[in-house]
Amino acid sequence: MIMKLKCARNIAELARIVAATHAFCEEQGVVNEIWPDVDFAIEELFVNMVKYNKDTVSEIEISMTTVPGGVSVTLIDHNVDRFDPRERAPVDVTLPAAQRKPGGLGVFLTLKLVDSFSYDYHDRTSTITFSKRREARDV
Amino acid sequence: MFEIESPVAGHVLMRGRLDAVQAPKAEAFLDAVKGEIVIDLSGLEYISSAGLGVLLRKHKQLSTKGGALQVVKVTPHISDIFKYSGFDRLFKIEKAS
Repeated sequence: MIMKLKCARNIAELARIVAATHAFCEEQGVVNEIWPDVDFAIEELFVNMVKYNKDTVSEIEISMTTVPGGVSVTLIDHNVDRFDPRERAPVDVTLPAAQRKPGGLGVFLTLKLVDSFSYDYHDRTSTITFSKRREARDV
Repeated sequence: MFEIESPVAGHVLMRGRLDAVQAPKAEAFLDAVKGEIVIDLSGLEYISSAGLGVLLRKHKQLSTKGGALQVVKVTPHISDIFKYSGFDRLFKIEKAS
């Protein structure tokens, strides 16, 4: 069973994404305790695509499927430049407030919260896949 | 759904989901609250980095006057997010009992 969604490049789509993914998780019996982390990862990756890939009007495709103990989620963005979130400089979470700058924290936390993360870039299409399972986080 | 209100001076309640869509609403509300504040997060189900940014901005505002943001009744998931982002070193955080 797979859930597929095509989204306009607008953060207002987040409500529809949450509704669709929660309905899928409910239907498939995905454990509730992982939902917030899945929501977080999807939001951060989707918002990044909307914010930084301004030269395209292509819809962003989101799909979700179950894996043992959790879900696997894929986000596909067409007609964009390459951007692997893992290549961002890590955020220093030990800095005092005055030295903290906006940006980067969402991706940093996403990579902490998910259990696997892959990035593929072909024909100007970025494909990100992550999984989240019930097992303990490695943080 | 996201709701923010200040039933008593210096005390703010947040409920629902503080995501990238709702962050501007939270930011505008907190900007209008003057002086020290305590934010009750008992009803906050979810926060994204946009919401974290709102809290950090308010904390910075208070810090310039020698204050600090105080958040109380923080649920386990949001407590984890604060920990991973290092916010537990910045704010006064009280977990939900």
